[in-house]
Amino acid sequence: MTTNKVTFGFFDEDAKKEIRRASLKAVALPGYIVPFASREMPIARGWGTGGLQVTLSLITEEDTLKVIDQGCDGSVNAVNIREFIVSVTGVKQTMATPEATVIQTRHRVPEYPLTSNQILVYQVPIPEVLTIVEPDTAKQKEMHASVDYSKLWVLLYEDTSQFGDSRISSRYPVRVNDHFVMDPSPIPKYDIPKLNNNPSLQLFGAGREKRIYAIPPYTKVEPLKFTDREFIIEDFGDKCCERCGATDVYLDEVHQEDGVHFFCSDTYHCDTNKNEVEDAA
Amino acid sequence: MLLELDDVSKVYGVSCGNCLELTGDSSECAICPECNAVVAVNRVNLSVEENEIVGVVGESGSGKSTLLQMIYQDQKATSGEIYFNGLKDSNGNKLSLFNLPSGKTSWVRNHEMSMIYQNPHLGLNFNFSAGGNIAEKIIGSGEKRYQIIRDRALHFFGKIEMPTSRIDDYPEAFSGGQQQRIQIAKALSSSPRLLLLDEPTTGLDVSVQAKILDLIKALQYEMGFSMIVVSHDLGVINHLTDLTLVMKNGCLVEYGLTDQILEDPQHPYTQLLVSSKL
Ligand SMILES: Nc1ncnc2c1ncn2[C@@H]1O[C@H](COP(=O)(O)OP(=O)(O)OP(=O)(O)O)[C@@H](O)[C@H]1O
Ligand SMILES: [Mg+2]
Ligand SMILES: [Zn+2]
Repeated sequence: MTTNKVTFGFFDEDAKKEIRRASLKAVALPGYIVPFASREMPIARGWGTGGLQVTLSLITEEDTLKVIDQGCDGSVNAVNIREFIVSVTGVKQTMATPEATVIQTRHRVPEYPLTSNQILVYQVPIPEVLTIVEPDTAKQKEMHASVDYSKLWVLLYEDTSQFGDSRISSRYPVRVNDHFVMDPSPIPKYDIPKLNNNPSLQLFGAGREKRIYAIPPYTKVEPLKFTDREFIIEDFGDKCCERCGATDVYLDEVHQEDGVHFFCSDTYHCDTNKNEVEDAA
Repeated sequence: MLLELDDVSKVYGVSCGNCLELTGDSSECAICPECNAVVAVNRVNLSVEENEIVGVVGESGSGKSTLLQMIYQDQKATSGEIYFNGLKDSNGNKLSLFNLPSGKTSWVRNHEMSMIYQNPHLGLNFNFSAGGNIAEKIIGSGEKRYQIIRDRALHFFGKIEMPTSRIDDYPEAFSGGQQQRIQIAKALSSSPRLLLLDEPTTGLDVSVQAKILDLIKALQYEMGFSMIVVSHDLGVINHLTDLTLVMKNGCLVEYGLTDQILEDPQHPYTQLLVSSKL
């Protein structure tokens, strides 16, 4: 007998099991890239299908979902992904970071601190951190196996020699659990310190490249940097969000005809901050 | 004893098991008549002391590069052992380079040995600046302080008599002789105990060659490391080395003081080599 009922979470149980198994292996080997059989999705690859598959494999009826694209719940991509997941699972959705149990994200870590009840799923375009210095995949594997990241260090050396600091502004390489070095996805340097010792489970899914990797809760994560140099994150000087007045957040630079404007990149944070400021007044 | 080779062989292809006996010095052939495997190196024994400079000569295909590659662990030997600098296992037995735990292998390569190749594309990463190439070796030897890495790179860049203003230039911006100098700076920047040189000056102008050989010699004298130099050119061997080994069909056929070998070669093959080349 056939039914038209869509399976919970879009995939059949075998597919979900395979993705979960890859995720478990990734959790067991923090920062290690695990291959999985990336599936066809009703969304084009390169639009978050890696993150989407991870989310669908682990989400349950009890979960509450939040999806953000560059910090924003309302962007077209975020809305599409969220509506798709809700349509195949019926889970609750939210924009409130603390209410969410599963957060799928592209290019940001939420400003609101995460808890051990939350899972953060990153959409990843390029999972292999070594591609910039070594195109040969066999050699990349060897370098990970012998924990030899000297080529990445040379890149840092060259930038420091020629420009005074690393020129990498997003996808800054991080060392996980004092071992593997991994690509944290294109989040800004501003978000890198938040990866360290984070209570939430952080999973990274790359759909096109068919790879999953993970940072388990409370894991040491450090940016790759020389011991005699500081890791310098984006500095917005005396700029604040024009909408809510926040200064201690990552700001988006918006270029308009009348000049440059600054707004919170994290829209939920901006909304709550604005309300608090107004309530206090 | 810094380096000890004990019956080291390398066979390319599937061996019939008798290749080593069926090839070599006496058989006039390095290809096994039974199974057609190539015996690149055939049961070589060799000891190199601290500070010693050993030359390796022999015709094309005699196994010189393969020998160096096995010492540097670019190639795994088919049989035999290579002992380095008294490395021992936890029971105090001599530990062959081939049996090192994987972390230790890269440690030996990064800290204790360096290789200079004839082709600068093998020894240098052309996507990195000259300074970046030198830094790679220093970083590989465990240094993670930028200022120390930069200062040491500048120091060795100066040692090869290059203007320090050019340290951030990329390899293609340098001449062939300068690229070899950069390889030297890179190789020495980790202060290795053993420097392996595979035809370091072949293909360069004679005047450029002489300057590079003088530089190598001066740095060896100053820093005090052992060297194994492979060369076709008996002039290079004469200029640089104390001891010479002669290879033929993968076998070591003669080994002794360089002066003696060049003046009074014993093996007929060496006699041929010396008479034709000098
Ligand atoms: N990867 C390989 N596969 C198969 N055979 C090889 C390989 N590398 C080397 N050989 C063979 O092993 C033998 C020794 O080669 P090797 O490069 O060590 O000689 P060489 O003495 O350095 O020669 P040259 O003076 O020309 O550099 C040659 O017969 C060569 O063809
Ligand atoms: Mg050779
Ligand atoms: Zn704001």
